[in-house]
Amino acid sequence: MVRREEILEEDRYRAQFYRLLGRLLARAPDEDLLKQLRDLKDGKNAIEAAFGALAAAARATTPAAAAEEFQDLFIGVGRGELVPFASFYLTGFLHEKPLARLRQEMAQHGIERAAGVSEPEDHIASLCDMMAGFILGEFGAPLPLAQQSDFFDRHIRTWAGQFFDDLAAAPSARFYMPVGALGRAFLEIETVAFQMAA
Amino acid sequence: MTKDKQAKSAPRREFLKLAGLGTLAGAAAAAVGAPGKAQAATAEAPSASGYRETEHVKKAYELSRF
Repeated sequence: MVRREEILEEDRYRAQFYRLLGRLLARAPDEDLLKQLRDLKDGKNAIEAAFGALAAAARATTPAAAAEEFQDLFIGVGRGELVPFASFYLTGFLHEKPLARLRQEMAQHGIERAAGVSEPEDHIASLCDMMAGFILGEFGAPLPLAQQSDFFDRHIRTWAGQFFDDLAAAPSARFYMPVGALGRAFLEIETVAFQMAA
Repeated sequence: MTKDKQAKSAPRREFLKLAGLGTLAGAAAAAVGAPGKAQAATAEAPSASGYRETEHVKKAYELSRF
């Protein structure tokens, strides 16, 4: 069993990455977050280039504009441009089997939705946050890599790539366009890294 | 960690390093929690139903509230 103090630096970065994606996909960024994103460095590989684009997008927006964009993308009138739930992507409907399977697995890990939250648990932001929690050992001991990989395979890999592509291409996406690219690039890294560990 | 596991994890570690995830370290880290400073919540004892609920779980779901 991995103890929390033994978590590798690379894995902490992965957790942080999931946290950032989760944060950006849960709510519009506030000024504090935008300010920090503006300082991200550009670079050559896919992730670094996406960070560079995100920094530029953060420089080009304001909290008010980003909030409006978030509203159009994810909430809308009746429905946003995107519906970021596993069940919706995999079956065309909310609350279908993928959500039921996720809930079963969450119960096994002792994770519950907090009181007062009404969104289904298979929201992309919740899934990112769960991955971060598994890596860092927030739901008990850090989850072994093989089990992280299984969870990723079952609940994220099958649809999140499409979601991030849709986000990058959504009509209202400005600040969120590079978030889509970043998410897509990160999923690919996770997929390859899990294969290397198998 | 056993030697065998270490040898197996080396290429993965190298790959992740080169991938540039660490770019986050300098900037947005503070907003989402710097690595190494991650606070692990102590899970409460399992309840009768076998469920545990940690502060972090609450946090997880507060995040996705909109």
